[in-house]
Amino acid sequence: MTMVSMMPPQVRIRRQTASGRIALALFVLALIGLAAMPWWARTGTIRMVLELCCYIAVAQMWNMLAGYAGLVSVGQQAFMGAAGYALFVLAQTFGVNPFLAVFLSLLVPLVLAVPCYLLLHRLDGPYFAIGTWVVAEVFRLVASNLPLVNAGAGMSLSVMKDYSAFQRNIAMSLFCALLVLVSIGGSYWFLRSRFGLALIAMRDNPVAAASQGVNVRRLRFMIYVAAAVGCGLVGAVYFMAQLRINPPSAFDPMWSNIAIFIVMVGGIASIEGVLIGTLIYFIADRYFGEYGASYFVVLGVMTVLVALYARTGIWGMISKRWDAPWFPIRRHLVLERDKP
Amino acid sequence: MQWFDALIQGILLGGMYAQYALGMALMFGVMKIVNVSHGDLVILLSLVGISLASTLGLGPFTVMAALVPLAAVLGWLLQKAVLNRVVGEDPLPSLIATFGLSLALQNLMLQIWSANSRSLPGGGIESRSIQIGGIHIGLLPVIVLVFAVALTWGLDLMLKRTRFGRALRAAASDVEAASMTGINPRAVYAAATAIAVGILGFAAVFQSLRSTVAPADGGAQLIYAFEAVIIGGMGSVWGAFLGAMVLGVAQAIGFRIDPGFGVLAGHIVFLLVLATRPQGLFGRA
Repeated sequence: MTMVSMMPPQVRIRRQTASGRIALALFVLALIGLAAMPWWARTGTIRMVLELCCYIAVAQMWNMLAGYAGLVSVGQQAFMGAAGYALFVLAQTFGVNPFLAVFLSLLVPLVLAVPCYLLLHRLDGPYFAIGTWVVAEVFRLVASNLPLVNAGAGMSLSVMKDYSAFQRNIAMSLFCALLVLVSIGGSYWFLRSRFGLALIAMRDNPVAAASQGVNVRRLRFMIYVAAAVGCGLVGAVYFMAQLRINPPSAFDPMWSNIAIFIVMVGGIASIEGVLIGTLIYFIADRYFGEYGASYFVVLGVMTVLVALYARTGIWGMISKRWDAPWFPIRRHLVLERDKP
Repeated sequence: MQWFDALIQGILLGGMYAQYALGMALMFGVMKIVNVSHGDLVILLSLVGISLASTLGLGPFTVMAALVPLAAVLGWLLQKAVLNRVVGEDPLPSLIATFGLSLALQNLMLQIWSANSRSLPGGGIESRSIQIGGIHIGLLPVIVLVFAVALTWGLDLMLKRTRFGRALRAAASDVEAASMTGINPRAVYAAATAIAVGILGFAAVFQSLRSTVAPADGGAQLIYAFEAVIIGGMGSVWGAFLGAMVLGVAQAIGFRIDPGFGVLAGHIVFLLVLATRPQGLFGRA
């Protein structure tokens, strides 16, 4: 029958893998575990896990910016501090419920990110990075001079006294789960959507992607604003747990150091890399943090070595050997066998 | 009168920033890379200079004669060991490598010299001043400005007139075409970075003479150099020089309005230039 051979081959698009299904199940279990922390963890443990979740979220935001959108930022602390301050002003000065204020405070990085991007995108390649640092410095200096946020002296979140320790633990645990869900789950969803396809095309070659109809400028803008809001959420949650904020801590460049170290060592442009990198950083910080300056010398030298010799990081080396992604985003075309 | 005084002080301050900005403009112009550890190198050289002066009892200009060649060798090594491996179309590797270097350098300096602020004893020149028409002008800031003009003029002349300058400009505009005519881009890059860091040897001596230095100060110097380059207009050494003057004047006037506003005023001028004239005040559109 000639008709049969004329028919297009039967194909199926495979987007999930066995390793991906296992990882997804573990991810859901981890989220439930995080949300249920008040029933199995002590306050000290919850605070430690909160810090870990903040690292994961900030690193993933930096990964989306540098790894996919080609926007290297060393100033994401601008939006963390801005949202942190917004939370303190709303909850402490205006008496808004602090847990609600965490979400309301996200409007501040959202609104500030738009003019920041419109200015910064005019800077060429590496100059963009230093420009983001200037923006963070401007935010810090404005906060240091603004009477509304108590200028250089900083603010305290004493309204948290109205809530019992258990209530605060519940809130912190839920925020931990939310941070991971939004940063990792949100990025995974985004990368699997048609925007993700465009983003990956853009990562591989912006000019070629643009010729295929990808609106590179709009996509970059979207990622920048989304990363600002994501970092804002981290800032609001982190400083709510800290109960205190002042300009040097709110706009601490150390967050950029941490995010860059985590993403570069773990493996840029992959969610798996962020998780591996965070784990390495977190363990290193626990064991070697007491060595202070010499510990940071080692972190710095490791970052240089990764940039020079192993640009794909640890996950890049692993995925070259074993094709078992935890968060598969590729589309595999599978040819269905002709039925007899 | 008070504002005229601020203008003069700002131009003198700009002389300091010009010395930071020249090297950054040169490196970006030739290789399209930004060295994030630019400011940390100034601080490192300053601290080395201060230690040299105190152990060997050297005067500031003897220290300068020792620091400038040392700085040039440091720049050459930096290019050979790190930057030549990361130079290319993608800005990410060079940014990350120099960012890591900055983190390592800052903490290494903290380890060696502790977090204390230090300064270089100048044997009196740092406090001497000349009075012209009711305005006190410090002798040291004038020397700094003279050096800045001389360095800018010398660099510009070298780029325009010498054989090496032609090789640099050729490598900057098209690496492949340049290497076809017998230029070795890696050697040219190494020399460019040696010059860029060498200039920081001058800047280091002046910075530690006119104020104090501490290991954590590098970031601010990097930002001032960057702002001067962008305000002036990318791609020309005189642009960087004039940008440094504008930045210095903005900061000096800001300081007069309110001491907490000085540095912020510089940032605001930078953002205004970016908003209205992204090619820089003196750049070609």
